[in-house]
Amino acid sequence: MPTKKHILSIDDEADIRELLQEVLTIKGYRVSTAAEPEQAKKIIKDDLPQLIIMDFQIEEGDGFVLMEDIKRLAPGVPVLLLTGAVFDRGTVRETIEKKVSSYLDKTASLSTIVAEIQRLLGDAPSSPEHS
Amino acid sequence: MKENIEQRVVGLFILMLAILGYVAWSSIHNIKESIRSNDWVNHTHAVIIHAGEILSYLHGGDAALRTFLITGDERDKQGYRVEYNTMVEQWTEAERLTGRNEEEKALHQRFLDLSLLISNRIDVARSMVQAREQGGLEAVRQQFNTHPDVESINKIERAVRNIDKSENQLLRERDEQQHLQAQATKATVYTGLGVNCVLVLLVVWLMRDDLAARRKAAVALAEANEQLEAKVQERTAELVKTNQSLKQENLERRWSYQALDHQLRYNQLIINSIEEMVIVISRALNISRVNPAVVQTTHWEPQELISQSIERVLQFPPDPAGGASQNPLTAAMRDGRQIQDRPANLLERSGRIIPIRYTLIPLHDQDKIVGGVVTVRLQAGVQQPRQT
Repeated sequence: MPTKKHILSIDDEADIRELLQEVLTIKGYRVSTAAEPEQAKKIIKDDLPQLIIMDFQIEEGDGFVLMEDIKRLAPGVPVLLLTGAVFDRGTVRETIEKKVSSYLDKTASLSTIVAEIQRLLGDAPSSPEHS
Repeated sequence: MKENIEQRVVGLFILMLAILGYVAWSSIHNIKESIRSNDWVNHTHAVIIHAGEILSYLHGGDAALRTFLITGDERDKQGYRVEYNTMVEQWTEAERLTGRNEEEKALHQRFLDLSLLISNRIDVARSMVQAREQGGLEAVRQQFNTHPDVESINKIERAVRNIDKSENQLLRERDEQQHLQAQATKATVYTGLGVNCVLVLLVVWLMRDDLAARRKAAVALAEANEQLEAKVQERTAELVKTNQSLKQENLERRWSYQALDHQLRYNQLIINSIEEMVIVISRALNISRVNPAVVQTTHWEPQELISQSIERVLQFPPDPAGGASQNPLTAAMRDGRQIQDRPANLLERSGRIIPIRYTLIPLHDQDKIVGGVVTVRLQAGVQQPRQT
């Protein structure tokens, strides 16, 4: 039985964290969650994930600072920025996309988000609705 | 079909048993008939033998009588008596044998008729013996001359031969009858066995046919089960797929709700954190939303402003051209035009008037003006009123 890929989800919204964890668990991933930077950094040190999903808005911290910490602690691990802070596409291309592997707005559909996660992990879509 | 075959097999077995029963009964019957015929044959032979013995002893007795008549020797006389007595015993035995059943009534009658002839012959013999003892040879000669009695012996011989002839005829008939019975028994047994063999073959054929039908039915049942199983699996797969799809839709809905809720709260947070007063109005210039800065500055509660005209909080200066005083927002909203940084007065809930500058941005949604946003800031040098 192949080992499940580990994904770390960092978000200040408990509902968002739980829903994302539920969906990704169904898709066959092992998901850890964190609401604040110290907790996220501890998980990264103890059990290096294959993908990190994060929001700018986090409890007791700053998303941009945490992004730098992640680059230092887990170099080479892809980071998917999933945020509700609406950015202009052009601005994102010029600024944030250089710091992360991919960017998606939280208003994107769940299937789009899962497909992007699978793409970043090099997995084929597990079902047609996510293709 | 199955019950029909079972009924046929049971029926054939019953028929076979009936045939076997008939064959057995017929064989036993024929054996009994054979035994009876054998008894008859033995009986007839006994009658023939006794009849033959009558003649034999008659001739023996007659010869001894003649010898006595010539010699006058007592031993010859004794000899004739013995022979005649034995003849009578043979007749008695034959008469007894034939007098036991109705079938031999005619034969028995013949023996009774024969008894008269024998009695006559014995009487003649006695008279001759008496004549020899009393008158010697001459008296015997006279007796012969007067009563030659040649016919009585011939009659007895004819009667016995007739009996013998008829008994032999009966023997032949019974032999033939016995032969026919044996043939009939053989034919019955062979026919019965033959029919039973045919019935056994028929039963085997029926059972083979039934087994073949059962095998075919079992195969058809197995195929039907396989098809049913395949359909169940197919349906289960469809249900699983539908369930997954429903789960996915549910998750999508929950995600959409969470994302939009988050987005809304985030936007609300941004608007609420703006220091400038923000008043959202409808096309008819009625207030639909205010930010906390409006409440803090004017002391109006939101419920006192929502659905009220914007003129409740803003007073616009008269037209410099001296025309009738008209709200400048009306024309701007109608034309979809922005108003940038114009002076006006803010009305506090207490009635105090504060000079401000305002900006109007009409809200366009798909080429339609659905409302507008008025941002208000205090003019330079005007103090923010204290919070009460």
